[in-house]
Amino acid sequence: MYGSASTHDIPANASTGLENEDPQLLAAFEARIARGEKIEPDDYMPALYRKQLIRMIEQHAHSEIIGSLPEGTWITRAPGFRRKMAQMAKVQDEVGHAQLLYSAAETLGKTREDMITDLINGKSKYSNVFNYPTPTWADSNVISWLIDAGAIVNQMANAKGSYGPYCRALERICAEESFHLKYGHDAVVHMATGTPTQRRMMQEALNRWWPPIMTFFGPADKASQHTEILMRWKVKMASNDDCRQQFLDMYVPKILEIGLTIPDPNLRKNEETGRWEYTEPDWEELKRVINGDGPCNKERLAVRRAAEDNGAWVRRALKAKQQAPKYVRPLA
Amino acid sequence: MLTSLDPRIARLGLPDSQPTIEPKEALDQFETFEVFHQKKDGTAYAYVGPVHAPSADVAFLFAKEQYSRRFPCTGMWVTPTRAISLTRYVGDTESVYDTLTESLPTHAGAAPDESMQQAEAYARGEEDYAIFHLKKRGKAHVHVGMVRAASPAEALLQAKAAFGEQRPVVNVWVVRWADVLTSDEEDRDIWSTTPEKKYRDAIAYKVQDRIDRFKQEQAASPAN
Repeated sequence: MYGSASTHDIPANASTGLENEDPQLLAAFEARIARGEKIEPDDYMPALYRKQLIRMIEQHAHSEIIGSLPEGTWITRAPGFRRKMAQMAKVQDEVGHAQLLYSAAETLGKTREDMITDLINGKSKYSNVFNYPTPTWADSNVISWLIDAGAIVNQMANAKGSYGPYCRALERICAEESFHLKYGHDAVVHMATGTPTQRRMMQEALNRWWPPIMTFFGPADKASQHTEILMRWKVKMASNDDCRQQFLDMYVPKILEIGLTIPDPNLRKNEETGRWEYTEPDWEELKRVINGDGPCNKERLAVRRAAEDNGAWVRRALKAKQQAPKYVRPLA
Repeated sequence: MLTSLDPRIARLGLPDSQPTIEPKEALDQFETFEVFHQKKDGTAYAYVGPVHAPSADVAFLFAKEQYSRRFPCTGMWVTPTRAISLTRYVGDTESVYDTLTESLPTHAGAAPDESMQQAEAYARGEEDYAIFHLKKRGKAHVHVGMVRAASPAEALLQAKAAFGEQRPVVNVWVVRWADVLTSDEEDRDIWSTTPEKKYRDAIAYKVQDRIDRFKQEQAASPAN
């Protein structure tokens, strides 16, 4: 699962720093991407490319870890043995995705140690939707289905990006996500077509999650030099709005066919433009929650920090035995 | 104390706020190992990705969990990242071997058969090196074979002689075989997956019948 990285993009007025790059190397780099070749870790790359990719991949990794917390806590309370097993398998997948992504980001020169420190200290962000609570099993199902669905829209786009290690990781991740999506859909359908109480639970969960879902892909991209460059470099593969439109195209019909309603009276597809219209999401709330003032920000980081603190003695003990004294970043 | 809607979190008794943590020292998250897997019997080993681990044994366990849990696998190799020597990366249509200029070190007196050659090689202090080629950027390195040499640099030249005809070769990895931890043929049952884990496969979830039934019921119900 994954959230839009672009909500935390480099400020539009920041310098691209391109004037500091070697023009010949830069031209060869751009020509390689234009030819459809991937960039590998040892290649020359502009500082902006490296910086933005570290930011994106690191946030993606953190989102996998933090995103597994609200679902993980439902494992013991999942209804029935089969769902417990499936929920457990999904959470294990997500944590595995984080490992793949941390390594991919590491190839760009930021150590895993630093990424974890920045997450715990609130310096690095993760997908904002995980700052909202999952008060019922139905809320967990909404994450499994619709948040993962949004994530897949994003990841399928990013898998066509230009950075080799990220593509390799995403290929694996996308394959596993197909199970999450089907599992989530199954769980939601089960509730939505079940008893009146189950239906009500499902509808209420969807009502709670719809506003965060609509902010999932981030606000419309500002026309900026950065956006243009990052698209040319195949770092950013689709605009936030295009991702949101694609998501609505694919999932609104699936939500409606099981008798659920979407809590936005203005949601409709404009047949002339082919675009979905909707009530503008509350971007001020998004900003506020990203910056720490959401219902679960504190809790998510506290739980992650407790895991880190509780495991410290194990890492210390193992490290004492370790022969390798020097840090080497992963190769690919 | 941290308050949470979630009783399982509330029970942990976590503090409400804490000072920021200090930057972690290097290798707090352990060194990395690079992992290669064999998808099915008889196919070449291919790179799947790294794992962080305190030792090769633990790396193997993590690698098995990370890379063979969800996909078919019949064998796995694990080697510390620092044990790999590599060339630079060239374009997708080139061969990196073309940019190696040094000539091959020659050995006087070619032996009449392979076992003699091997015995001589060991006597000269040579060892086996595994050679991996990357054929296309963004794809994975694949094992192309073994060479015998006294150093990674020499192994690369031997690889050029043995596999230099292949095209394209974007990048080459050279690893001393003694640095690779491999799965054991005798343990091959560790790769068989229990058929009772269908719940982790997308294909196990079929909801269309249920949706269709629901729609029929809705259409038939007097409320509509």
